[in-house]
Amino acid sequence: MISTLKRMDIMLILCLLSLAALGLTTLYAAVHQGGIELWQRQVIYWLLGLGLFFVICFIPLRMAGLFAWPVYALTLIALALVPLLGDVQMGARRWLNLGIIHFQPSELMKWVLMLVLAHWFASRTAASFKDLCMALVFILAPAAMIVLQPDLGTTLVLLSAAAIMLFAAGLSWRWAACGLAAILAALPVLWHNMHTYQKQRVLSFLDPQSDPLGTGYHVIQSTIAIGSGGIFGKGYLHGTQARLHFLPEQHTDFIFAVLAEEGGLIASSLLLLLYGVMISRMLTIAGRAPTRFGGLICIGVAIIFTLYVCINIGMVMGILPVVGVPLPFISYGGSALITMLAALALVMRVGIESKGRVYWQRPGSPLA
Amino acid sequence: MNSSTLEVRNRFDRRLLFFRIMGVVLLLVLASRLIDLQWLQYEGLFLQAEQNRMNVVPILPTRGEIVDRNGSGLAVNRISWQLTLIPERAEHMDTLLADLQQTLHWGKARVKRILSRIRHARKDRPVLLADKLTWKQAAPIAARLHMLPGIDVQAGTHRFYPYGELTSHLIGYLSLAGPRDVRAGILPTEKVGRSGVERLFESRLHGRTGAQDEEVDVHGRRIRVFRRKPPLMGTQLRLSLDIGLQQTAARALGSRTGAVVVLDVRTGAVLALLSQPGFAPNRFITGLETEQWKAWVDDNQHPLLNRTLQAAYPPASTFKLLVGMAGLQHHAPLATGATQCPGYLELADRKLRCWKKQGHKHVDLHKALVQSCDVYFYKLGDQLGMKAIRDEAELWGFGQHTGIRLTPEASGVIPGEVWRQGGRTRKWFRGETMIAAIGQGAINVTPLQLARFAAAIANGGKLLTPHLQAGLPPEVLRVIDIKPQYLDIIRKAMRGVVTEQHGTAHYPLSNLPWQVAGKTGTAQVIAKAQDDEQLSNVAQQNKYKDHAWFMGYAPYKNPRIAFAVFVEHGGHGGSAAAPVAAAIVRAMAATTTPAVAAKEQG
Repeated sequence: MISTLKRMDIMLILCLLSLAALGLTTLYAAVHQGGIELWQRQVIYWLLGLGLFFVICFIPLRMAGLFAWPVYALTLIALALVPLLGDVQMGARRWLNLGIIHFQPSELMKWVLMLVLAHWFASRTAASFKDLCMALVFILAPAAMIVLQPDLGTTLVLLSAAAIMLFAAGLSWRWAACGLAAILAALPVLWHNMHTYQKQRVLSFLDPQSDPLGTGYHVIQSTIAIGSGGIFGKGYLHGTQARLHFLPEQHTDFIFAVLAEEGGLIASSLLLLLYGVMISRMLTIAGRAPTRFGGLICIGVAIIFTLYVCINIGMVMGILPVVGVPLPFISYGGSALITMLAALALVMRVGIESKGRVYWQRPGSPLA
Repeated sequence: MNSSTLEVRNRFDRRLLFFRIMGVVLLLVLASRLIDLQWLQYEGLFLQAEQNRMNVVPILPTRGEIVDRNGSGLAVNRISWQLTLIPERAEHMDTLLADLQQTLHWGKARVKRILSRIRHARKDRPVLLADKLTWKQAAPIAARLHMLPGIDVQAGTHRFYPYGELTSHLIGYLSLAGPRDVRAGILPTEKVGRSGVERLFESRLHGRTGAQDEEVDVHGRRIRVFRRKPPLMGTQLRLSLDIGLQQTAARALGSRTGAVVVLDVRTGAVLALLSQPGFAPNRFITGLETEQWKAWVDDNQHPLLNRTLQAAYPPASTFKLLVGMAGLQHHAPLATGATQCPGYLELADRKLRCWKKQGHKHVDLHKALVQSCDVYFYKLGDQLGMKAIRDEAELWGFGQHTGIRLTPEASGVIPGEVWRQGGRTRKWFRGETMIAAIGQGAINVTPLQLARFAAAIANGGKLLTPHLQAGLPPEVLRVIDIKPQYLDIIRKAMRGVVTEQHGTAHYPLSNLPWQVAGKTGTAQVIAKAQDDEQLSNVAQQNKYKDHAWFMGYAPYKNPRIAFAVFVEHGGHGGSAAAPVAAAIVRAMAATTTPAVAAKEQG
């Protein structure tokens, strides 16, 4: 027990606790006017999530490999049930009501797919055509279900994460280039089959001023909020864009703008730095992983994490189209936070298992 | 560890390094955008955030009220109530409108109009539903505001003219600021004076708009106030007008078309300035309908025309006072002599007639003025020549603006020996001078000019600039160099008009508390039309009926007021206009107690 705790990656823990503090502080600024009930709820989610985090840290990584496939199957079934039983929110069926908690199978699927792919390629490589084809089946089955919900944003995130994962699993540069070319070729077809609101989002991303009160409004206001924060920010709880509600969705997808407005360049670059350290740490742990399975898990988590950070902040700053992706550890939302903490716990577990017992060390390196 | 495992391991490590580099690149892209927004674009975006939240709300000044010399309100501000609705806060629009429709007794068309206004308006900003409600109308709504979400009742003021038509020309009216006013810094929602006193004293009545800097949220709700610059309220304006006198004049004129001017002979202050018919100035405030405006413009009685100073008419026999004065001043032989009036004067092949067919027999200046003999003045005018008459007329303020500053003012016409007609210079005929000498022909004067003339006769030759404000010292345009005995001759003749048995205004002005001196005038509209034509209907007869004048002053000794009464197509001056003057004098005498009179003289 104590030895496990001792082997935890201190840097990752520090980053996580800093993000928790920064996230809850920012969330308070975003919601305090409407009462702190949401904020209190998020504190409870944090406590639950951290509890789960420590539990997972004690579970051997082998168990993750065992659980991966049944969980993948269950999530697929849940995805299949969404069109039949799901709640409609914002015009799309994405959520399953599990009594206490609204559960979004597509959200969970991203993480489960990473786990499954990591396990699949633990003893195989993507350089093998047969193994690659099987992996594509695991990827495309959920992707097809999600795109039909319809949820193009999540599908794209899932597909890009999976593609990068294949690359990590040893996909040759040649195949990667072919895949990229195929995606580019598919873009016009994709555009043709998009829903009007999705086209709107892409168009308003390309030119937000074309519809300043409609789709472009969110991004215009968040850009103003971030820029008006300047270097030192307007001061905690003094952001005018946030306080006077010019900033939409400020406790969920657009919370970065609240931080940037009130904390300025200093706070926003501090956040980027924390994310940077965290991602770098995950990749370091991946390199030291005792098994290929562990290494791939770390990379998979790092991929999704990086994608979330880049897509969310890029969207809020107006350099990417609006896709509903939370800002890790900062945005309000229980299920996203808890899944992310669980995923981070897996990385942590890889780190714990790597200390002292390096099975898969590169010959000639100082640690050999 | 075999070679293939080693190869897999190496490839994994290379990919890991690639990811590390990619991660750094991506975060650098984000960081550069952050620096772009928060550092390079900071000023512009900060300004945009400020524009989002700051709202400068103008605070309108209250317009200064206009009162008469005794403090009676002529243009006042009435509190009225405004009903607004913020559409997005209304729960059931249809029920709400039905409720309001019942409470305010709206017609179906009105509800339809309001519905379309709501449909086209922003949903988070107040929409005006009703304006200028009385408290009686607004109270039942204000009492139930908590049951009518989105509805608000606000107090404001609007201009009201208690005397309506009676002061319409003098006070004028307001309308929404035009482009030129807006350029001068007035808000498009403000009203400015468009005519009369409201326009003349616009700057002091209007005041200056204040402003309030507010912080608003995304719904436009006020969060707090930063800075308040209070408006500069308009100041009250007290006119020299006596509204009681104005009412008397209007009552005496009745439904007839005409104008009445009463001046204080000592100061030139306007005591009454009435033009009939008038218009309803309050209609301008509630939003004038185009049809009403058109009706006023097309009305052949011209209700928008201020006849006291915007229109000029032939002065007829009242002008004989001036010609008589010119005769005395220029030492014309006839002015101190006498002539015979057989009822006409032959000039070449034409016969110039006197109004009295049987003639006045032996006439001197006094008798010619008292009985208004035309033949005497044909001859006097002939002796003087047009230039002398014109010089004298200009000396006494005719043919020029009086300087009252109510615009537009007519200057009237006093022709010279060389004059232009229809753009061409033509010769002036001797006969025309004779016609001019009895105030007919090309000569035109305004009632205000005539009243000022009467005042100058009364006060000993001081030509005053008429003014409208109470308590202002007299503004003497010039003191006319005339011998007191000459003035006395004229004054005595004016007194004779009223007192002597054959005086043209003998009957209507007897038995008054103040002794009146005056002169009648009966202006022919179309020369000899009545003699030649048999006019069938009354309307046509009216169209050719003479204009009636009476001008003068009172009391005869120690004069206080001068007046000019004009009745359009009224008939004879003595019978149509003089009774109006009688009513004015009676009212003036009644309101001036001996104590007040003594005080004013002291």
